[in-house]
Amino acid sequence: MDAWLDWARGPAFVFSFVFLLLGLLRHVALTAWEVAHVWRRAGDRKLPLGKLLRATLLWLVPFTRLRHRFWFGLTSLVFHVCILVVPVFLAGHVALWARGLGLSWPAIPNAVADALTLLAVVTAVLLLGQRVFSRATRSLSRVQDFALPPLVAVPFATGFLMMHPGWNPFDFQATFFVHVMSANLLFVLTPLTKLSHMILMPSTQLVAELAWHWPVDSGSAVGRALGKEGEPV
Amino acid sequence: MTRRLTAVKTALWLLAGVLGVLTAVRFLRGLGATTALTDTAPWGFWIAFDVMSGVALAAGGFVVAATVYVFGRERYRAFARPAILTAFLGYAAVAVGLLYDLGLPWHILNPVAHPQHHSVLFEVAMCVMLYLTVLFLEFSPVILEHPRLQRPLLARVHRALQKVTIPLVIAGIVLSTLHQSSLGSLFLIAPYRLHPLWYSPYLWVLFFVSAVALGLAMVMAESFFSAWLFGHKPRRELLGNLGRAASVVLLLYAALRLGDLAARGKLDLALQPTGHAALFWFELGVSALLPAVLLQSGRVRAGSGGLFGSAALIVLGMIGYRFDVCIVAFARPEDMPYFPSWTEIAVSVGIVAAAMLVFIFFVEHLRVYPPEEHGPAEPRPRPDPGTVRPLLAGPAAAPRRYSLVAVLGAALAVALLPAGALFGDQVARTPVAGPRTLDAIRVAVDGRPDDLVLAAEPARQAPDGMPARALLLDADRDGRTVLFDHDAHVERAGGETSCGSCHHQNLPFDRASSCGSCHADMFLVSDTFRHESHVGHLGGNAGCARCHDGGEGAKTREKARACDDCHSDMLVPGAVVRPRPGGLDGRAVGYMDAVHGLCVACHEREVALRPGELPASLADCGTCHGREDPARLRRLGPYAAADVRRAAPPPGAAAVPGPSE
Repeated sequence: MDAWLDWARGPAFVFSFVFLLLGLLRHVALTAWEVAHVWRRAGDRKLPLGKLLRATLLWLVPFTRLRHRFWFGLTSLVFHVCILVVPVFLAGHVALWARGLGLSWPAIPNAVADALTLLAVVTAVLLLGQRVFSRATRSLSRVQDFALPPLVAVPFATGFLMMHPGWNPFDFQATFFVHVMSANLLFVLTPLTKLSHMILMPSTQLVAELAWHWPVDSGSAVGRALGKEGEPV
Repeated sequence: MTRRLTAVKTALWLLAGVLGVLTAVRFLRGLGATTALTDTAPWGFWIAFDVMSGVALAAGGFVVAATVYVFGRERYRAFARPAILTAFLGYAAVAVGLLYDLGLPWHILNPVAHPQHHSVLFEVAMCVMLYLTVLFLEFSPVILEHPRLQRPLLARVHRALQKVTIPLVIAGIVLSTLHQSSLGSLFLIAPYRLHPLWYSPYLWVLFFVSAVALGLAMVMAESFFSAWLFGHKPRRELLGNLGRAASVVLLLYAALRLGDLAARGKLDLALQPTGHAALFWFELGVSALLPAVLLQSGRVRAGSGGLFGSAALIVLGMIGYRFDVCIVAFARPEDMPYFPSWTEIAVSVGIVAAAMLVFIFFVEHLRVYPPEEHGPAEPRPRPDPGTVRPLLAGPAAAPRRYSLVAVLGAALAVALLPAGALFGDQVARTPVAGPRTLDAIRVAVDGRPDDLVLAAEPARQAPDGMPARALLLDADRDGRTVLFDHDAHVERAGGETSCGSCHHQNLPFDRASSCGSCHADMFLVSDTFRHESHVGHLGGNAGCARCHDGGEGAKTREKARACDDCHSDMLVPGAVVRPRPGGLDGRAVGYMDAVHGLCVACHEREVALRPGELPASLADCGTCHGREDPARLRRLGPYAAADVRRAAPPPGAAAVPGPSE
């Protein structure tokens, strides 16, 4: 088991983490390239930049958005705060960064980490529940929308068990292995699924806006595609 | 066809991603982190493949240029552009590959800055530089044909280049002849290191003739590969003619090689049952004899499979010839073998992949192949009115795919790199070897009452000596030893109960564990703590709290309970070495530090306690080191000569605790 654990914490982690970093960088580069491309071809280059900036900031700090679907919004907000704070500021993780790369930053108390971890697991289940039981959301959902919240909950649940070995019915090393490998899997999945919104979020408003600035002559392209060339609209 | 191209490009981008990471590591961390090269193996895979084979593989450029422009075989003009592009990219790959191999890459300009005109390598360097320029000029008209470059000034450059085509071709042929052969001349400097089956004073002739054959084979192989990749029809008849020409050149090459061996009287070496002889025949068979015979047959030349197979044999065989001369048949010191690291191979493969991507880019955007050879044009995707996707993401589909596989390759490369390549040089571990026990004789020498001499050395046997046992310490097995008089130290420290003075900490149920059982590395700190075994013994998860108190922060070794809190019996009270304040944490310093710390500290203490009685030099290095000549020790046996044993049986020898190691 120790050899498997060393593999998961060693090469497998390095691969997943580098894939995550480079994959997110790739998203940034591709987005910039595509935005420039669409901007060059756009028929209408008047962009409401102030409005876009405001909308982007409002989505990044989504407190004002809570009024639409309050409970769903609140669950989502708590979920996001928990899954961002705990992995980065857990004392054990900070110690790993210090040991591996000599980087160090303050950690949160273990009791706070415990509470946030449990909240992350609970909110993940709630998010999934709201997706399953709300007909409107369900019809908009893809497979990854159902699969990702429980997957995100796995490293948190196993992490909690590792912090409280007295309550852990499973073998410690096995729990550790599942913890590391599930996190590795999430790292790899991040650039490939909607998890990439962690880096693409700031550009979403701009991309959505640009998508409506059709290229010159795109109307006739649509006409050609529909086989209704030359017909009056 | 398009799917095949996409698949090939995807694979090439994966290799290019690996190359990207390895390039960064090579130039940030140096050759030691990325190669298996050493001071005794200063050149290896990169020189053999990137330079030696790379230059030869790019020989198609000058062979086809000569065929078309000098010998006036206009029918072969269709091969000229791809062959010149292949040659240009090949030479560019050689230059790039050389940058990786040179310890100080900017020294690639030294042949120009500090010309050594007697040197063969100077000639090779100048020829390669000039020929790379010539190839660029030969190929640039193809670039200037692009519709976007139709400007008046560029058109004048284009016309000027077309006018100098013939001089350029002639320059290219002259330069190629010079350096293709000079790559062989390089090895004339090492006639006794290159195996006689490969060494020849006419190595330069063999290199040139084999390069001509290889050039023809590369044009054939490249044509078939491009045809397969881009969906062209290969010009089988013309390629068959090239194959027949290659066959003639190969027969010439084989005759020259065997004739040269026969003339120098070395042919019998090839007929002896040795590994080198087998390698010689295998290489000559694959590179020349087999394809030459195959290409003589009209049936083989009529079919694509036969032609491509023969060309592939020549290409692989001739790369093998370069490898044999450069690495395999080149003698190296026996205990310093060289085998390339995976990073060396991956860099070479990555450079080839990058060159192929540039080739495909040129074929897709320029008129490398005559237009009639191109397959049906790809239909333009119709915009799908149901979604805005083609308006937004369509143009980025290819960059999306290829950048993703490049990221995948890069991440794989980082994960597979050795730790030294990522985090700088790591000190290699040096496991400690235990001491050896020898018979010795205790004599009075130079006023010292109980010096030891080795009993097995007849010249130093003293008749009045007492037999004793000694420990010969050489924990890193480098031949420099310390002869340690264990018995005398036991006696001086207070007899049988004194073990713990030095054996300050012991394994469970042991009373004199050897130094090396904890200080297991010669120089580095060793970890004596086994977490998994403690988890098992302490009752699994419930036992965590026995060492980790569950307080704030991470569960680290520093904050866990000290080892001696539970294992109090492991420590010996009154030992010279005291446990460190704060308790033991399972880390043991390197063997050298441990032994020096113990011996020197104790000697210094004794000198301070008995200043008149003991010489002040007792704590000096020479007290223990430098008394035994390693060359002499190697000739001695471990036991005393028989007459010494008989002369005086050791009194109370059985009572002396044997060295536990």
